Amino acid sequence: MKATGDKWVGQAVPRTEDPALLVSRGQFIDDLNLPGQAYAAFLRSPHAHAKITRVDVSRAQAHPSVFTVMTGDDVARLTRPQRGRVPLQYSPKVYALAYEKVHYVGEPVVAVVAIDRATAEDVLELIEVEYEPLPAVINPEKAIEPGAPTVFEEVKSNTLWHDTFPYGDIEGAFAQADQVIQERFTIHRYCSTALETFGAIAQFEPATGALTIWGHTQQPSQDRQAVAASLGIPLSKIRFIVPPMGGAFGNKVRPMFLIILALLAREAKRPVKWIEDRRENLLALGHSADGIMDVTAAVKSDGSILGMKFRNIENEGAGIDFAGRHNLLMLSNIVNCYRIAAVSYEGYSVLTNCCPVVANRGIGKPFMCFSVERMVDVIAATLKMDRIEIRKRNLIQPDQFPYDTPSGQTYDSGDYPELLRKALALIDYKELMQEQAKARKEGRLLGFGLAMGVEPGGSNLSYGMLISGPTQLLSGQGEAARIRIETDGTATLYIGSLEAGQGHATSLAQIVADELALEVDQINVPTTFDTASHPSVMTTGNYSNKFNGHDTAAAIGAAKKVREKLLNRAAQHLEAAVQDLELRDGKISVRGTPGKGVTVAQLASRAYWSLADNQPDDEPGLEALYYYQNPMAKKPDEQNRVRVQLGFAGAAHVAVVEVDPETFEIKLKRYGVVHDCGRQINPAIVEGQVHGASVHGIAAALLEEFVYDESGQLMTTSFMDYLKPTAADIPTILGDHLETPSPFTPLGTKGVGEGGAVIAPGAIASAVEDALVPLGIRITTLPITPTRLWDVVSSKGTRYGPKAE
Amino acid sequence: MKPAPFHYIAPSSLDEALTLLGKYNGQAKVLAGGQSLVPLMNFRLLRPGYLLDINGLKELSGIQLADGKLTLGSLTRQSEVEHSAEVERQLPILTEAIRLVAHPAIRNRGTVGGSLVHADPAAELPVVAVALDAELELKSKNGIRSVPIPEFFLGYLATSIGLDEILVKTSMALPPAGTGWSFSEYARRHGDFAIVAVAVLLTLDPEGKIVFVRIALGGVGPAPMRACAAEKLLMGKAPSDALFRETAAAAVTETDPENDIHASASYRRQLSAVYVRRALETAHSRTQRGKTSA
Amino acid sequence: MFAAHWRPPILVLKGEKQVPEKISITLTLNGKPVAADVEPRVSLVDFLRYHVGLTGTHVGCEHGVCGACTVLLDGETVRSCLLFAVQVNGMDVQTIESLATEDGLHPLQQAFQKHHALQCGFCTPGMLLAAKELLERNPSPNEDEIRAGISGNLCMCTGYVNIVRAVQAVAQSGSSQVGKSS
Repeated sequence: MKATGDKWVGQAVPRTEDPALLVSRGQFIDDLNLPGQAYAAFLRSPHAHAKITRVDVSRAQAHPSVFTVMTGDDVARLTRPQRGRVPLQYSPKVYALAYEKVHYVGEPVVAVVAIDRATAEDVLELIEVEYEPLPAVINPEKAIEPGAPTVFEEVKSNTLWHDTFPYGDIEGAFAQADQVIQERFTIHRYCSTALETFGAIAQFEPATGALTIWGHTQQPSQDRQAVAASLGIPLSKIRFIVPPMGGAFGNKVRPMFLIILALLAREAKRPVKWIEDRRENLLALGHSADGIMDVTAAVKSDGSILGMKFRNIENEGAGIDFAGRHNLLMLSNIVNCYRIAAVSYEGYSVLTNCCPVVANRGIGKPFMCFSVERMVDVIAATLKMDRIEIRKRNLIQPDQFPYDTPSGQTYDSGDYPELLRKALALIDYKELMQEQAKARKEGRLLGFGLAMGVEPGGSNLSYGMLISGPTQLLSGQGEAARIRIETDGTATLYIGSLEAGQGHATSLAQIVADELALEVDQINVPTTFDTASHPSVMTTGNYSNKFNGHDTAAAIGAAKKVREKLLNRAAQHLEAAVQDLELRDGKISVRGTPGKGVTVAQLASRAYWSLADNQPDDEPGLEALYYYQNPMAKKPDEQNRVRVQLGFAGAAHVAVVEVDPETFEIKLKRYGVVHDCGRQINPAIVEGQVHGASVHGIAAALLEEFVYDESGQLMTTSFMDYLKPTAADIPTILGDHLETPSPFTPLGTKGVGEGGAVIAPGAIASAVEDALVPLGIRITTLPITPTRLWDVVSSKGTRYGPKAE
Repeated sequence: MKPAPFHYIAPSSLDEALTLLGKYNGQAKVLAGGQSLVPLMNFRLLRPGYLLDINGLKELSGIQLADGKLTLGSLTRQSEVEHSAEVERQLPILTEAIRLVAHPAIRNRGTVGGSLVHADPAAELPVVAVALDAELELKSKNGIRSVPIPEFFLGYLATSIGLDEILVKTSMALPPAGTGWSFSEYARRHGDFAIVAVAVLLTLDPEGKIVFVRIALGGVGPAPMRACAAEKLLMGKAPSDALFRETAAAAVTETDPENDIHASASYRRQLSAVYVRRALETAHSRTQRGKTSA
Repeated sequence: MFAAHWRPPILVLKGEKQVPEKISITLTLNGKPVAADVEPRVSLVDFLRYHVGLTGTHVGCEHGVCGACTVLLDGETVRSCLLFAVQVNGMDVQTIESLATEDGLHPLQQAFQKHHALQCGFCTPGMLLAAKELLERNPSPNEDEIRAGISGNLCMCTGYVNIVRAVQAVAQSGSSQVGKSS
């Protein structure tokens, strides 16, 4: 694969994860079993909002195959309430089981541990719960009206957080505007629904008080902290093991399930396993947030956008794990890829009787991008400008990087006009326009869609200070890594990247192999994370597209440290100066002295075997630990400017759709993505991420939707009703790329896993709207479905927007 | 998502199965392909006390083409029908329909009889059975009876099959030689149950007049249905765009669709109009005028 | 499959033991005989994973939509979440564990790695078996036929692009029959 002396980074190295997965020896959570293990099941709320007036578990407890039964009262007695990731002024009391009230359909009310899962489900039927139903509120705009049902009484209102952030001369921008254009956009709830559902096994050792959890989390440090705080167990007694995950996508961050399993294991005095079933997964693991965005733009007649005001009402559901985060991540990226000098962002984070939200792929950014890209199209339509021309006029230009946005982000690098040019070439734009003109003459509805966007990578967790103030402990972004070179010259990298399908182990092996001049197959990156072996910081994990800027930097830092130790050993061994040494192909030699050299394995052997030797660096062993902190990740300044995100890939998406003029079926005929994630570590993995993320975004725009009825019942609790796309529902993804390396990451890399999901919804909406030009219908909401298009057309409507209530 | 407990019996003969079915008097469910039954059991939406697994009863399987009829044993796997060259030659509408049933692994296991007895109004096989005037042979320990398809489907997931009866086989009359056909549907996702499914058969005499027609729809009411009034409009007439349009509009008036999260009733009516018209056009394009019997 | 509003009448066991008796079964699993006593309600996939300890077959939805639990029953793909283990008495079951032989990986497995057709790998076992059946039935499928052939298997990671490419590559090389087990 690699010619001698070449770098591994940049090559499409076959993945080191694949051999086990191809023969299905992936060691996922449900593949693991402990002796004496019992199985949990949850009785869940049938109501969106109700008082719990009586719980009778006596028949369940009497069942001979039951080890323990727990209610919300038990959990409230034995644990402290959970806290949100971002501390809030008024935080509701949220426990791992519903306490006194249920707040959404599917909320766990009683937990049962039995000899097997089927029996545990039988026992759930022996439990009697009486509810006093309360009025439910589903729509976040209704939830903030006076008199709305209150989801958590202790918060006083359903507004968990509300604030406004003006940046730049926003009033001046509107004063200078030739036109002020206003539009409302909404987005629905959906979810990436990893094929492997959530799961965990908890084991509590009463003799020592030690708790071990094998299970799902994408932020092991924070979830471990949450379990410790809730149960009052010392952190030093808690071991977290995260096996490879069958997809995660930001959904697998629900510490309440780890807390309840730990409690159940302690009470049942045996390991307790829980594997979420698909109904539970769709009902209550977590959805992306739905929201309502009002955008007002100040524009000149030539299409220049002077300023934009945003007001977003975000539906957080009945949870606090991610409270405020969608808003803050939208706020921070709100200019997308455009030179907009003044913005103001008003955000509401609202509690409702929906399932709590999670950080689904791209968290917040899909709605940011959808709103901005739709708005740019609306401005173009209003000014009778071409959609491409208006973008060209407002895009940040290549010579403006690094570019500081009004809210304080520093966009590292990019060439957005070139992305656009390549995307149009990819889809044969000129030919397409002729095809469209012909189609329109024939009465066919053929549409071209375009959306562009930034894809941020890594988040500076200081952003929570915009809500909680500067005293918040959690800040910045970083990762920890440890490398141990073994006596045979192979090396192991322990890092908190977590395996969830993105090929991190392969990419990291490539990076470390380059630093240590070894072969990729000599670098082992365990795909199981274990706090007993892996170093970590509080920001450790697999989320926020942080891999390319942070995990890579931590791995490189550790590799450089161990390399330095290696060279010091070689200098001593070879009696040469370090600066004269050359590390190549697993050997260290002295420049200009052929034949004088030593292998990495020889040096490593001595480092562990020959403890009577004089040790360079005053210690035996050949291991290095490195904690990386991103120097760009600062706290907010006095004007609330903050680099919330730390690296900015970009992409242009183009779509061609044909809408049936009678049935309004939408056929996605072609889809293209031109992306720029800076330097690519492994182009095959990068391409795979672009494909997968784009299809998530396409499916969110056309198929996937969690539907609540007005009473708060979720109508989409199976894969028969929640529509994941099959291979036959989408076309191939055409691709091209551009490489503008980031000056702020060690390798010039930028994030790549989320962008497709962020940008695709806007591209699809743009294409369908273009197809419908003969009918004059504006698309302002998602998903776009034939039945709702028909409802608009048949009622002679001009707007495909949210359903009137 | 584990089913409630049940007793499992695999009878070794149809007679034994029928005896047990009678004995358990409504407590037992017949398990054929299980592709609709088992999900309902896994969700605990259905909890039979006894499962009678008839998969071992080979006498219930088989494809027979004779005497102008296609007879399908109720246990015949959908994939067997799908891949039968003889079926495709003699009754291409069935092949066209069955390819739209779910996905390969489901068709490998799912049975013809199971789909008919499950009676989902948006499933493909019930619609094609209606178009082909199917006759269903139902057997109980007290005897055997033949039920014409209009008397079989009673409503949403409801049929006239008795609690003690098993569907043994289904016969469909082969349409006259030269008949054009079309089976098409709109589903939101590949392989899903249809939102609206339409089956059309159309035969022309040597003069080009329509002498035989069937229009059947699924997804537009509690049970699959035949648009009889619309069919009447066509009989004896020469096909034309206007006639097909008028017929499609007439078919819509015979439907009784409902709203659900995937489609409004209004949209289902629109789909019915468009799909019936297009199916008539497709079927017409596939007719071989006045061809003598094969 | 069923509408959310529909609730069938609940049937209960009457005059019988609450826990149905276990049933003895014998099957051929990946070429070897296996005998076991199982409760009737145990699905084939739970039997494989929890009774036999073959965890290569995955569970993704337990209602027959996702295809993660695909196995070969008498040589044909089926959903093992929609079969009870008692039903396969006397039958031949092949799981993903049988796909690679002592001679190495099946050509589809090789192509999946070469074309980066897997990310998290959770759908991969079912996807490989679906693709294997597809190529056995149609050795030179076009792209639409490939997409229809694997449409019963959901992948949440890849957007299917590289899976289609891998299957195309195997079809073009004509090597799909290599390692074919009957």
